[in-house]
Amino acid sequence: MSIQNLNTYDPFADAIKSSEDDVQDGLVHVRIQQRNGRKTLTTIQGLSSEYDLKKIVRACKKEFACNGTVVEHPEYGEVLQLQGDQRENICQWLTKSGLVKPEQLKVHGF
Amino acid sequence: MEEDMVFDPSLKKKKKKKTGFDIEAALAGETKTTDAPVETGDVDVPEDDSLDLDNFGKKKKKKKTFFNLEELESALPESKDKKPPAEEPEQQEEEIMDDLDLDIDFTRTKKKKKKRNLDEIVAEEDVKTEDQEKGDDLQDDWFGSDRDYTYDELLERVFDIMREKNPSMVSGKKQKFIMRPPQVVRIGTKKTSFANFTEICKTLHRQPKHLLDFLLAELGTSGSVDGNSQLIIKGRFQQKQIENVLRRYIKEYVTCHTCRSPDTILQKDTRLFFLQCETCGSRCSVASIKSGFQAVTGKRAAMRAKTA
Ligand SMILES: [Zn+2]
Repeated sequence: MSIQNLNTYDPFADAIKSSEDDVQDGLVHVRIQQRNGRKTLTTIQGLSSEYDLKKIVRACKKEFACNGTVVEHPEYGEVLQLQGDQRENICQWLTKSGLVKPEQLKVHGF
Repeated sequence: MEEDMVFDPSLKKKKKKKTGFDIEAALAGETKTTDAPVETGDVDVPEDDSLDLDNFGKKKKKKKTFFNLEELESALPESKDKKPPAEEPEQQEEEIMDDLDLDIDFTRTKKKKKKRNLDEIVAEEDVKTEDQEKGDDLQDDWFGSDRDYTYDELLERVFDIMREKNPSMVSGKKQKFIMRPPQVVRIGTKKTSFANFTEICKTLHRQPKHLLDFLLAELGTSGSVDGNSQLIIKGRFQQKQIENVLRRYIKEYVTCHTCRSPDTILQKDTRLFFLQCETCGSRCSVASIKSGFQAVTGKRAAMRAKTA
């Protein structure tokens, strides 16, 4: 018989485990990057690989009237890139379409 | 990005005024600041006003803090300890009248710092007076009865006791943390200097490296501290934007997540950073700083030449 309360719990267990794949923090990171001049680029990292990102990017391009692409990254998986600051747009779109829960979104930038 | 570029003369006019740093607003999240876009519009010209952490980016300092507190408290059921309950309703009414006045007459300098719509205030006050009355009755039938207490009553009671036993906690709320605004200047067309970066690190009691990592990760760019201890960032950024990022930094890595005290220590322990509060003793892990995916920008031809 084991008493559950006395089990030792290692709070760092997942920290060590996730050292390999700490990309998968379950969050969708929405970032902005400056390009030359006043141009910007929005990247969306961490979308589930279950989704067809090509379809998503096609829908977004039409919806936000901007160009976009899907980039395959060895560490971060498939990443969505959109031209301009689409952070608001993409957050709304992702939550409205139900692909991402609002609490999963992490928006970075200024 | 876009809206920052738009030139709005009304913004420029205000730039001489003080900027304050609102720690409460920082804590309340970004939503707070958006309700006053005009006020936060001070751009680029670093003012030498020392600004209190209580009010970053807001000029209407005094009143604002007052209301922050109010909001905070009215979020909880209001307590009786502020004023004698008997006088309360009249006083409230007076205040409401004042608000009425001031919505029309902005020349009254004494009160003109208030900026909130009347309905909101009235609603707030109403709630308060109601609670006040409830509170009076309570005081008497609290003892010697074992009726079912409502959640609000209990919550109110526990907060009253807390305030009573810890007067320092109540006054501690007003404790201000003086911080100067970031001095942000453009260098040429492609770089930005954050002149008092090191000074701000000192004020926040954080390693420059840590703040640097955060800033660069959030801004999605690169940069370094130069010989004059100013931070040179690649890209064009405005003071307002840097303030935003700083506010997020303070929220995550400086103020205690439990009691909001800025008196904290950041420790590294097995790959994770922990925020240890010196005021309440709470300790919690904070998000690690990752830049994550960085898109390839700049000249692709040059990149190709390098890799080829
Ligand atoms: Zn604390």
